[in-house]
Amino acid sequence: MKHRWAMAIDLDRCTGCGACVVACSAENNIPVVGEEEAAKGRLMHWIRVNRYWEEDSPSARAVYLPVPCMHCERAPCEIVCPVYATYHNEDGLNAMVYNRCIGTRYCANNCPYSVRVFNWYDYKWEKPLDEQLSPDLSVRSRGVMEKCSFCVQRIRRVKDKAAEEGRKIRDGEVQPACVQTCPPGALVFGDLEDPDSEISRMFRDPRRFRLFEHLGTEPHVVYLKRRKGAGV
Amino acid sequence: MSGEHLLARTDEAQLFRDLSRSNQVTTWRWFAGMGILALVLLWGIGVFVYMMTTGMGVTGLNRPVFWGVLIVNFVFWIGLSHSGTLISAILRLTHATWRAPILRAAEAMTAFSLLVGALFPLIHLGRNWRFYYTIPYPNERGLWPNMRSPLMWDAVAINTYLLGSLTFLYVGMIPDLALLRDNSTGWRRKLYSILSLGFRGTHAEWRRYHVASTFFAILIIPVAVSVHSIVSWDFAMAKVPGWHSTIFAPYFVVGAIFSGIAGVILVMAVLRRVFRLEKALTPLHFDNLGKLLCTMSLLWGYFYFTEFLTVWYNRNPEEWEVFRSYGKSFLPVFLLMITCNFIVPFPLLCLRRVRRSVPAIFGVSLLVIVGMYSERVLIVVASLARRNDPFIWHNYFPTWVELSITAASFAMFTMLYMVFSKIFPIMAISEIKERLFHTTERAIGNATAEAIARVEEHGEGEVK
Amino acid sequence: MSGVVVIGLFDGVEKAARAGKALRSLPLPAGNITTISGVPLPDGAVCEDPRPIRFPRVVIAAWFVGALAGLGLALATYLLYPLITAGKAIVSIPPTLIVTYEIAMLFALMATLIAGALEMGLGRFKARKVHDPRIHEGKIAVCALVEPGDQARRAAGALTEAGGTEVRVEEGEL
Repeated sequence: MKHRWAMAIDLDRCTGCGACVVACSAENNIPVVGEEEAAKGRLMHWIRVNRYWEEDSPSARAVYLPVPCMHCERAPCEIVCPVYATYHNEDGLNAMVYNRCIGTRYCANNCPYSVRVFNWYDYKWEKPLDEQLSPDLSVRSRGVMEKCSFCVQRIRRVKDKAAEEGRKIRDGEVQPACVQTCPPGALVFGDLEDPDSEISRMFRDPRRFRLFEHLGTEPHVVYLKRRKGAGV
Repeated sequence: MSGEHLLARTDEAQLFRDLSRSNQVTTWRWFAGMGILALVLLWGIGVFVYMMTTGMGVTGLNRPVFWGVLIVNFVFWIGLSHSGTLISAILRLTHATWRAPILRAAEAMTAFSLLVGALFPLIHLGRNWRFYYTIPYPNERGLWPNMRSPLMWDAVAINTYLLGSLTFLYVGMIPDLALLRDNSTGWRRKLYSILSLGFRGTHAEWRRYHVASTFFAILIIPVAVSVHSIVSWDFAMAKVPGWHSTIFAPYFVVGAIFSGIAGVILVMAVLRRVFRLEKALTPLHFDNLGKLLCTMSLLWGYFYFTEFLTVWYNRNPEEWEVFRSYGKSFLPVFLLMITCNFIVPFPLLCLRRVRRSVPAIFGVSLLVIVGMYSERVLIVVASLARRNDPFIWHNYFPTWVELSITAASFAMFTMLYMVFSKIFPIMAISEIKERLFHTTERAIGNATAEAIARVEEHGEGEVK
Repeated sequence: MSGVVVIGLFDGVEKAARAGKALRSLPLPAGNITTISGVPLPDGAVCEDPRPIRFPRVVIAAWFVGALAGLGLALATYLLYPLITAGKAIVSIPPTLIVTYEIAMLFALMATLIAGALEMGLGRFKARKVHDPRIHEGKIAVCALVEPGDQARRAAGALTEAGGTEVRVEEGEL
């Protein structure tokens, strides 16, 4: 059973609330680095919400752009890893293998979206915060790269359940943490192999664009252009 | 026409004593110097262990500047290693006779800067202790490394160049090691006997030695060019604006040769002073090296201008943002680079007065080293700091950790050099003698000129 | 090679050349006469080296062996561990070329060292090789491999006549 997981982000709906960031951090054992480290540029968020100002004035409007890993079909991060710690799997995901990574950080340099983050320290979860860690995935050691995995642990859980019950995966059954949480429903996730899924429909939407499309990375994440113009 | 050649007029034993002074006398100054350097090196090693056990967070690295001073050091030291190759190999192949006193020091510099440079890919790893994942050997992990990665090309190329240049250095030393063996006693004699492999200087040995040296020279030049091209491709293969440029391979090779020649001048000036080699290393040698340095400065400027011109003319937004930052956040580094690489060195090196004055050319070479270091800082850091997505732009500044490790690398290089100069011949004595043997003084009218005989393949002599 | 070596020291190339000529006219085969000197002397100046230099062929062969090794390494890595990266082909040609070239050069460099050393006869520490450290004081040693007895005496005589000092007959090889 072949899948091609993809995500669509409707910029008409995104309010920049950042709930996706919080949900992702909770789901994926992402450490909170603290104010000082964040100021040094060491945030560990797997999905971030970019904020741009439309113009350089006090009355400028903010434009919000949630940026998860694009899981590019021609991922520039995959080819530069000297040890195959990142590669493209059969489901179209850009897979990250933590215990293979030796920390050259070339993949992070080669990602034009800068979605890859590095474990600068061994982060600790003081008791009782360690109770919130998800057992479905590891806590990464220092020196290892990590990034959004489209919540591959959830994908796997749904695949296992569907296989057990002997059926196909239903559209909308797999929901990464960010998709599940997004209050206005701006994030949509699904299988492109299913032509009737909501994601396939959004990939055919005339509003769609890809980030840095000219770089030829062929991302699996599309954005739907904001219809509201300035002044509305 | 024959006249008596210069070697016949030289007291060879005295020449040997003059040129091998570094092997004979060790003053307290050497020990003191080694002591201080050892402290710096040990401090650096300690800081490295601290970084390894605490995490890379102790450096100034961040997102998006994931590579900083440690990678700059890597490129810098590999670049310096192009000194020996150029001088030894190219000058050997072009029969430039003035190369003789410079050979050994240049080749040693290549070998040691490679040794130091090759450490940095290991130092900058997030999980250094797993570096062996990059070695393709039979294992139970079910994986070998990814040969598509420029870092693996680095591994293969630097390994080849390191082994090649160490061999080049060693083979070049064999006749001198035989000379030292015949002139020493005790443990030194034993050491030189083993290392010289029983070389005596028979006619058959010399003929084959000459062929082997030529082969080494022919083989090491393409390796050197490929090594720094491959190092440049660590950057050129990336989708980073300001890195992804086809000019990087020749640009880096030219830059490496440029910094390499400056490095050789610095080392030669120090050796000349410390070991009182004024008679062997004359202003002529510095003059010739200075002319080479001048040419490389011009070439570097040409390559840099070409790269700048294409980006400036096109104003591709992603690349232009990087170049714009040269005029803003990175202005000090940019000015330092341009001044030290071109604006000051090039006009100065055009002057014979500067080239022939050892303190002057020492100063200019030092400027070039500083300039080339800042060039690499600009390439590595600025492009990452102002890359594709403006939201995550972030500046970078090295911390005491990176600076300590950098200082330790300089200490290590100097220590290797100091130990080498004590045990091995720092001057290519046999080559110097060979040059003197081929040189006669020839009277042309009322003037005297030096004539150097060059022997053709089939044994027919021809006066140049 | 059986025999003994007759060796004598000479001041300068001209005297050594006379000695070389004298030895040749004894007669002695050119391959049995050699010089030991601190600087290389042109072929034919004092003696000739009739044996061809063979090791360059080994170096060239080693280059091709190395190229095959590099090609094998790259292809084996790709084919045994086929992981898709960046949508590129499993067997990527340009990186293969780079690795092949580097390993070829490595093999050629090492072959130059090893084959060259072997052909020079280096590294044979047990062998008794004739040598005189005074060649580093400006002297040139001219030696010849001779039969012990009459030929050795005539060779020693020829060397002394040509102006050689410290002429002696030694056990050992050239």
